[in-house]
Parts: sequence; structure tokens; C-alpha cells
Amino acid sequence: MTKHQTAIVGIGQTKFRSKRRDVNIPEMIYEAVRMALDDAQLEPKDIDAILIGNMDHFEGINFSEMWTGIDAAPGYLKPVVKVATGGTTGSSLAICGYHNVASGIYDKVLVIGWEKLNEGGATTGIITAFDPVWERPSLAGALGPLALMAGMYSAKYGITPEQAAKVTVKNRSNAANNPFAHLQMPDITIDYVMSSQVISYPLRLHDCCPQSEGACALIYANETEVKKITDNPAWFHAVETAHYYTFGTDDKMYDLPTATIASKKAYKKAGIKDPINDLDVAEIYEPTSWSELSWTEALGFCKPGEGGKLLDEGITQMSGELPVNPSGGVLSTNPIGATAMVRVAEAATQIMDRGEKRQVPDVERALAMGFGGSLWTELMILGKEPMR
Amino acid sequence: MDKDKVAIVGCAQTKYEEDKIDLTVSELVFEVVHQLHEDLGITNDDVGCVITSSNDFNDGRTIANMAIQDAVGSVRKSESRVSGDGAFAYVYGAMRILSESYDTVLVVSHCKCSEVNQYLVNNSIFDPFYQRHLGLDQVSSAGLMANMYMQKYGISEEQAAKIAVKNRKYARDNPYAHLQKEISIEDVLNSKMMAYPLKELDLPPFSDGAVAMLLTNEAKAKEFTDTPVWLKGYGSCTDAYYLGHRNMTDLVGLELAAKEAYKMANIQNPLKEIDIFEVYDAFSFHELMIYESLGLCKKGEGGKFIDDHFESNLPINKSGGVLSSNPTMANGLIRVAEVATQLMGKAGKRQVNNAKIGLAHGMNGICSQGNCVLIFGGE
Amino acid sequence: MSRKKKGDIFEIKWKTNLPYRWSIGKLAVKFFEELKENKKILGSKCPKCKKVHFPPRAVCAECLVKMTLDDMVELPPRGTLEGFTVVNYPFTDPSTGGIRPFPYGYAIFKLDGADTYTMHFVNETDASKMKIGQRVEAVFNDELVGDLVADIPYFRIVEDEKEGD
Repeated sequence: MTKHQTAIVGIGQTKFRSKRRDVNIPEMIYEAVRMALDDAQLEPKDIDAILIGNMDHFEGINFSEMWTGIDAAPGYLKPVVKVATGGTTGSSLAICGYHNVASGIYDKVLVIGWEKLNEGGATTGIITAFDPVWERPSLAGALGPLALMAGMYSAKYGITPEQAAKVTVKNRSNAANNPFAHLQMPDITIDYVMSSQVISYPLRLHDCCPQSEGACALIYANETEVKKITDNPAWFHAVETAHYYTFGTDDKMYDLPTATIASKKAYKKAGIKDPINDLDVAEIYEPTSWSELSWTEALGFCKPGEGGKLLDEGITQMSGELPVNPSGGVLSTNPIGATAMVRVAEAATQIMDRGEKRQVPDVERALAMGFGGSLWTELMILGKEPMR
Repeated sequence: MDKDKVAIVGCAQTKYEEDKIDLTVSELVFEVVHQLHEDLGITNDDVGCVITSSNDFNDGRTIANMAIQDAVGSVRKSESRVSGDGAFAYVYGAMRILSESYDTVLVVSHCKCSEVNQYLVNNSIFDPFYQRHLGLDQVSSAGLMANMYMQKYGISEEQAAKIAVKNRKYARDNPYAHLQKEISIEDVLNSKMMAYPLKELDLPPFSDGAVAMLLTNEAKAKEFTDTPVWLKGYGSCTDAYYLGHRNMTDLVGLELAAKEAYKMANIQNPLKEIDIFEVYDAFSFHELMIYESLGLCKKGEGGKFIDDHFESNLPINKSGGVLSSNPTMANGLIRVAEVATQLMGKAGKRQVNNAKIGLAHGMNGICSQGNCVLIFGGE
Repeated sequence: MSRKKKGDIFEIKWKTNLPYRWSIGKLAVKFFEELKENKKILGSKCPKCKKVHFPPRAVCAECLVKMTLDDMVELPPRGTLEGFTVVNYPFTDPSTGGIRPFPYGYAIFKLDGADTYTMHFVNETDASKMKIGQRVEAVFNDELVGDLVADIPYFRIVEDEKEGD
């Protein structure tokens, strides 16, 4: 049980692009902040605390929250804290926001994730996440390990490149219904993916997520405040994180053990016995097309090795029993500090029935996932009603 | 916030040193985590989740907390990182207890200043449009602040030097402190000028070190210790970013954070009601400014306060403060650990008698931009 | 630092040199000494659960137990391929500031006797020639200096040996 029921009452996202040359960092973040405040019909003075994050190295700004929290968000004379954990930054912030409100310490909190990747070097920055002696010399950014994982996954279960390509086709055509998504490709085909260059075997260019710039903001409130703000919030039902070893290669890498560990705990908390039936939509963090197939297994949507079959049978398509990534997912939009938070924003959008063209009908419960670091998973389950 | 719902049941600190060259960051953190487990007689299974504090630029690693996963025991557990001062990690840990999500939370903060040029790391806090190319860092900006404070209120360099003397004297009784040699007012006044009016001994050293503590909820506290330390009050406030927007003579952010904390803890007269203060003295003049913002004396009277109390064993920074040990990111959590140690009656030679209520101060950014004030009670 | 104006858009370009002196720890020092002096590869074995870790490190994550120099064990320079890729895109190497030459092969494999996997370069840039389960062998430089990549520039696929031989 939680001390205070906590819900998302306002959402803001920028239209994600590969380069936002027209704005500097605070200006870009402010777009999402303004949108979230307008969405919740709140004034800056109504916010009690700001949580804001990105990866310092990517833009070359140390303690970036001291600048962005004041210039881009209503942080002046308020608490401003940064939570930054790599790919899971957005979900770590989202989870921290939950604890800020559920603990009773703050009533209304603004949570912001952002990244302006092209102002620094993302791959270069990502390499510095790894051990300078043992891992950096050979490591090729994030795509290297992901390529290794895809290869091992493919060999273990016989998943084909065509099955993986189907994920990109699903997600980037889904993205055409999402006004915020970076890569929107309504007419994408499997051939388009399969004919792109192999950039790190077996990953083709279009098996991989892009690098996007943008920001995402969420406003949280406790049950007392929610009543004053909206009658259509998205309530937190469960929040769970699982981490693993420092060296990502310490354990086999053809699946994602932390997703299995975190999902078991989260489902138990939220009273979910069969994810396909008990969840209505899932926004999962798929850095590559292969990852989505693997993660659906790890999250218990199907048995190990059957991720390809799950998609082939249409279960995770928009028309299926459990649509995965109606927003287009990470394959369509990837502003690293915000990516995991966009999953939460999109899950909340679905709960609130505001997805318009990308809305899944009758959403009562949604799953949002963050992934990053040395193969960590963060999960949030949101619901239309408060968890009792 | 409900009081007496979050307890600190144990703390562990490393000896702070200039260069722990033989230890990796992982080994440094393991030292305090292991010590804590031993002291409390617990295993990793007794820890619900972990909150860490570290800084990417300082560690030279993006996702700096990835390096210490093994050391903090986060396998299959939840671990999250506050990329900021350790006191804020304590606050997040406390929130995880108060949200009734976990019964026990391990909070760890580490910093190895020896691995990188601290001035360059600090210069990169400044924005690249207006401030960074001025070459500003923690020393030059502190010099600006100290000078403006000095001019506005007529504080003397000698009064500021008394802070350094006091803290360095107290550090002699703290087995963990980095600098343990006493200094005199003359030593301070004669030391090398770094950024007027700050001389070398007005400024802290750079240290390596780590600190860890275990937080529990009310129900479990007595399982671990007879002397739990309860969170009574909390306030947090962030001042403006650009130095030109900041009030450089009065620590506005700290004042507001302290007011919030006092209100929550029901404290009307801090000097009388609080038995031990551990504040973040980033430079000598800074501690005088902190006295004023905490309401221990009137505005502008920090110098007079130290003159009046110099000989009277002030219970402020009995650990020696940041001026004696400065593993930057860990400083705020060390302040919390020192207050907790005092309230538990385990502070040995530096113990303040009968300490029942304590105040810890954590700081983020340049010149007290971000402030966190925590009030603890032993009962 | 340079400033550019393209039409209405201002940019500031900034390059900082930020050198780090990381402590690698006693176990890593021993590893490099043994590599240089005796062409040996060492891992670390947890005294409690007996798990053999490569790369060697001071803390066993499962047991939260310290591994010391006494816990270091020799590992053969041979292992089995568990995964592989051929990196085929340009990126800036943070250690050099320049683009790392590509394509290059890199793989994940388990040294015989180790319980963890490890990554390193392999000398194959044709993915179709690699297969999970192949045997790999470290290729040492003639002159050993105590540096991982300089001393073992890559592992090679052993064509004539299969796992179980």
C-alpha cells in the first residue's frame, strides 16, 4: 500500500526532431513544461518541487539541473533535484516523482526529462559509461552490446531478421499516428528495413533507434490535489526497478533477466496475473527491433523464444489483444534523458483516453518500461482508477 | 510530513584522504557498505533498495553509479542515483520509506576528487553561453561572494579565519577527517591568496571518501539499534542560477530551506533548541553567512557571532566540516552521518554532551545555489 | 571556443580536454603485471561462492564479499564464442578524440574456467564466418607492455578446434 495515492495530471512533450537548432536547451525544455502546466491548468507557483534530468556528459553541462531547473522550469526558490541513470533516466525520474508525492512530502511535483543529443556526442558519451580498462577499448557505444544481444537472441531461439524488421514496421507506422514522434513512416515496409545497411551485425540501420532531441514533462498530484485539477488522471498502481551486475557481460545476454524480475514484482503488486489479458496497452523501451521481441518474452507476455510468434500472430499490433508501443516506441523517438519518460507519458495518455489517432480502445491498465545501464529495467503500471 | 517515521539506524564513513590511489571507486564504496553490514549484523537481504549519489563529471563516467552496482549489492534490487549532493540522496531514501514502498533503504555517496582536476569539473557547471568562458569555478565564484559579503557587512578576514581555525581544531578529534592539523589565525592570514579575499586556508582541501547509512521505517528501527535517529524536519530550496541573478551577500535559498525545516520540526529558536549543527562550509566566510541564514544571529552579524563565541566550543561542525574533509559529492551525506553519530552518542572525542536535536545542511551547485536542511532527533 | 552564425542561428562550439587518473585497483595491477611478465591471464575467484570472475574485480556482487590478490586464479587464453558482431559505423572514441577505425569485429566469449563472459576484439570482419560455439584464442603481441589491447590486440577464431575436443 502506498501512503498517498499518486496520479499523473498533466503531460507535455515537444515534437521530437533530430536537431532542434531553433532553440537552446532551456528554451526547448520550457516547451514541454509550458505544455504540461497548461494541460493541468496550473501556474508555476502551484508546483512544489522539480525533478529534472539528462546525462551530463551528453551536452557537456555538469549539474545541468542547476541551470535548466531555474531557466526552463519553475524551480526558483523551490527544491530542484536531478536523478540520472542513463537510458533509464526518464523512468528513474518518473519513479522518483512518484515517491516524492506518495511519501506525502510534496503535493504537486513537476518531472522533466530531456536531451539535446546533437550538442554533444551521444555514442562517445555512452562509451564513457563503461569501465575504462576492461570495456571501453572494444565497446562500440550502446549499439555494440545491443548487436551482441540481438545475435545471441537470434541464435538461441531462431528469430529471423524479418521477424525483427516487422517490429520496426509496426512501430514506425504506429508513429505516424503520434504527432510528437520523431520518425513517422506510415508506408514503411519490411523491404525498407531489410535493405538498409548492416551497421553492426545483425543490426541493420533501421533495426536501431534514432537520436532525437526534445523534452517530456509530467505533473503529478496526490489524491486530494487531483480532485481540484482533473477528473481524468492516470493513477500509479505499481512501481518497480531491478538492477544487475556492474559488468553487463557477467551474465548471458540473450534475454533481459531484470525485466523478468521487475515484472514479476510489479504484476504481483498490481494484481496482474496474465499480462496479455490484464494489461490493455504496453509502452516498452525497445532500443532495437530485436529487443522488443526479446523484452515481450522477459515481461511475461509470452514464453521465452516466442516473441517473434507473438508479433506474427498480431497480438502486439494496434488491433491485437495487447498493443505494444502505439506511440511508435523508442525505434521512432529517442531523446535519451526523456525516452523512458515518454513511455510513461504515452501510457498515461492512453489511460486518459487522449491518444486520438493512436488511442487503444478501453484502456484501464497500462505498462510503461524503462531500460538502460548495465541491462536494468524499470516498470510502472498505471490505471484508470486508484489502486485499492 | 509525518515525523518520526524514518530512522537512521547506522552509518559508516571512510577516513577522508587526499588520494586513495589503491582503491577503485567500487572498493571505496564497498568499504562503507561492508562496514555498515558488519556493524548492524545484516546481510544484503535485509536491504530493501539502494539510493546512491555521485557525479558523472567527477568520476569520468556517464552513469557513474554503474561502477558501484556490485559494491552496493543492487543485484536484482532497485537502485537509483541522485546526481547531486548526498544529502539529497538521503531525502530520496527517506521518501521511499515514507511512501511505504520499502522497509529499509541503503543510502551511499562517494567521491574521489583525486582522479580529475576539480577546477575544470567545477567550471563545467557554468553555462557555455555567458559564464563558462570567464573561467569561473568554485574558488573564483566563492571569492566574489566572500568579497561582496565582506564589503556589505564589514566582515573582516580575521573573523573568517576564525572559522577555519575552529573547524580545523575540531577535526583533530574526528578520526575520519582528512586534515587533522590545527592552524592559527596567522596561518590563515598568511596563506597563499587564491581569489581575493580567500586564501588557501580559507578554502577546503580536495578529498577522496565515501559514506553509507541505513534508513528504516518506524516498525523496523528498534530491530537494528537502540538509538535510532528520526527525521523531524526537512526543507529544500534552490536559488537563481546566474551569479548575477543571485543575492551574493545573503544565502536566500538556505534561509528559506531552513525556515521550512524549522516549521516542520517545530523549532522557534534554533541556537537554543538545536544541540549540534553540521553545515556545508564551502569556504570560511561561507560559514558566517550560513549562521545568518540559519537564524543563529542577525543579518550581517556573522562576524560578530564568531567573535563572541570563538572560545566557547560552538557545537557547529564538530566533525571539522568541509574545510577539513571535502569529498565534494559526499559532503551533504557526511553532514547527516555526523549529526546521526552525535545523536546516537557514538561521536567519541568530538561528542557534544546530551545531543538530542541536530541540523544537517547539504548543498548543490555553486555558492549555495541548491540547499537542503534536515533536522534530526534522537528521541 | 568558436562562434558561428548561420542565418539566424548562433552556435558556440567548445572542446574541453578533461583528463582522468583512474585507480584501477590492486587486482588489475596484478593482472597487468602477470600479463606483461608471464603472458598469463588472471581472473578472481570468490572465496565464498567460488564463482570465477573475468575481468578480475574486488567485489563479488552476489555474496558482497571481497576478493583479494590471494583469490586470483589463472585462466587459459582460450574460450568459447557466445556472441559476436562487426561494428560498421563511425563514432568518436572518447580515449583518443578521433574516429575509431571500422569495420572491426568484437565478440563476447567465456574463457575456459570463467563463470562470467567478457568482451574483446576478434580478428574477423565477416559475420558469416563466425558462429556461436566456435573456439577462440588470445593472440599476444610479441612485446608485452601491460596494456590490455596492446598486449592482446584480438582473439582469433580457431578454425580447426571445436568445443568438446
